[in-house]
Amino acid sequence: MREVYVIGIGITSFSRLEYPLVEVAGYPAMMALKDCGLSKVDHVYVSNMGASRINRQTGFASAVVDHLSLTPAGAELIENGPASGASAIKTGFMAVASGVHDVVLVTGAERMREVDNLEATDFVASLTHPLAEQIYGVTLPSLAGMFARLYMEKYGITSRHLAMVAVKNHDNAMYNPFAHLHERITIEGILDSADAMTNNPFVAEPLRFYDMCPVSDGGACLILASADVAKKTGKPMIRLSGVGQATDTHCVHDREDPTDLLAVRGAAAKAFQMAGVAPGDVDVAELHDAFTILEIAESEEVGFFKKGEGHLALEEGYTKLKGKLPINTSGGLKAKGHPVGATGIGQAHELVVQLRGEAGERQVKDAKIGFSCNFGGFGNNVVALVFTKEK
Amino acid sequence: MERNILGYKCKKCGHVHYPNRTLCRKCAHNEFEPVPLPKNGTLLTFTHLHNPLAEYEVPVISLGIVELENGSRITGQLKIKTPKIGMKVKAKIEQVRKSEYSTYWGMVFYKP
Repeated sequence: MREVYVIGIGITSFSRLEYPLVEVAGYPAMMALKDCGLSKVDHVYVSNMGASRINRQTGFASAVVDHLSLTPAGAELIENGPASGASAIKTGFMAVASGVHDVVLVTGAERMREVDNLEATDFVASLTHPLAEQIYGVTLPSLAGMFARLYMEKYGITSRHLAMVAVKNHDNAMYNPFAHLHERITIEGILDSADAMTNNPFVAEPLRFYDMCPVSDGGACLILASADVAKKTGKPMIRLSGVGQATDTHCVHDREDPTDLLAVRGAAAKAFQMAGVAPGDVDVAELHDAFTILEIAESEEVGFFKKGEGHLALEEGYTKLKGKLPINTSGGLKAKGHPVGATGIGQAHELVVQLRGEAGERQVKDAKIGFSCNFGGFGNNVVALVFTKEK
Repeated sequence: MERNILGYKCKKCGHVHYPNRTLCRKCAHNEFEPVPLPKNGTLLTFTHLHNPLAEYEVPVISLGIVELENGSRITGQLKIKTPKIGMKVKAKIEQVRKSEYSTYWGMVFYKP
């Protein structure tokens, strides 16, 4: 297996974008091509979840490759729910590692704000089981609410811990010009004050408004290449050193212990094993905090903390920007935003920026190993990535 | 006739699946016998979902995961004012979602 490097990156603002979906995929790809100085690639992988339903566009990868004037390079769409982004990166990794291609462009795009919030929620709820979940009105926030209630009771986590995740990630997003939410929040404002119930109403109890990620448009791109090509670009040598994926039951009720996220555990273990590093070696991590509780749960399942102790690390400030292991320096899904099909590439983009030392005010000092967890469905399909900075 | 929700019992190992699947999760066998699921169970977790999907036309619906008497688990709606994890619940089969084209029936759990 050949080694695979990230040679170019690009991203859009994660927010409401008023231009067509193909440009949401195209703009970060253009930035990534400029970043590495290439004008041709061997193959294009496009990650997206909602083009056919929300934007009424099928065969979307063909539109993207032509829009970028990269024909006749091969192109296809990777749809793997909210884990589409990291899945596309994994597919690109395999293409280069195997020797089939030398340079691949992996671009993700989503334009969910073309529809209103309820329709966007209904679209995302189509991830759940049609006969055993959807018929009851189950949505992703409701699954997160049920998960949170059990998790909190079992491990003594309070609404205050969840709010600490939101405050931390909103703080980080203040330093990320591409983040969706540039809004500092306080525990006083969302939990303690007389206006807290107005500012921060319940959505899926015990989860409230500020426990949820926003509905975002956005795109992000990574260009992956073999070592030979990477050396010629003169860019910092950032190696995609580990990829891991695991699945779990479609219905959440089918899981033996509903507080276990076995696919997160499995994907992370495989990625760490391939990279030859341990969770304790990680300098900066992007976790899939579509709901605040998930940042805490994933920080345990991937091996950063013991099960049931993630919230204690949070209390100590261990995962803050200046802490020992900064988590979600980009603002996370919570504040950077969650354009579902592009999210996993957005996470990878942040890690490459950090490892290159280009993160400005949110730079983690001497970051050499980055880790991301991209969580599909409600944990039924998870892709983990490890990036390593080489000299 | 009393309405039931059907589980799918593996003809080889006897494990009851809900919902159905092509291959048994325990023994990979592919033949199943439909069996009515019991209606009594224990509430494992729940949520009150505010502003549910458009067709519900109510401000809040309650959802939960229940372990039924036979050990099968099911997601359902709750009509219980103050649910508690671990409480005993009993299902009625009621309309749980209505779209333009179809009506769906499922388990709605009450205090026994």
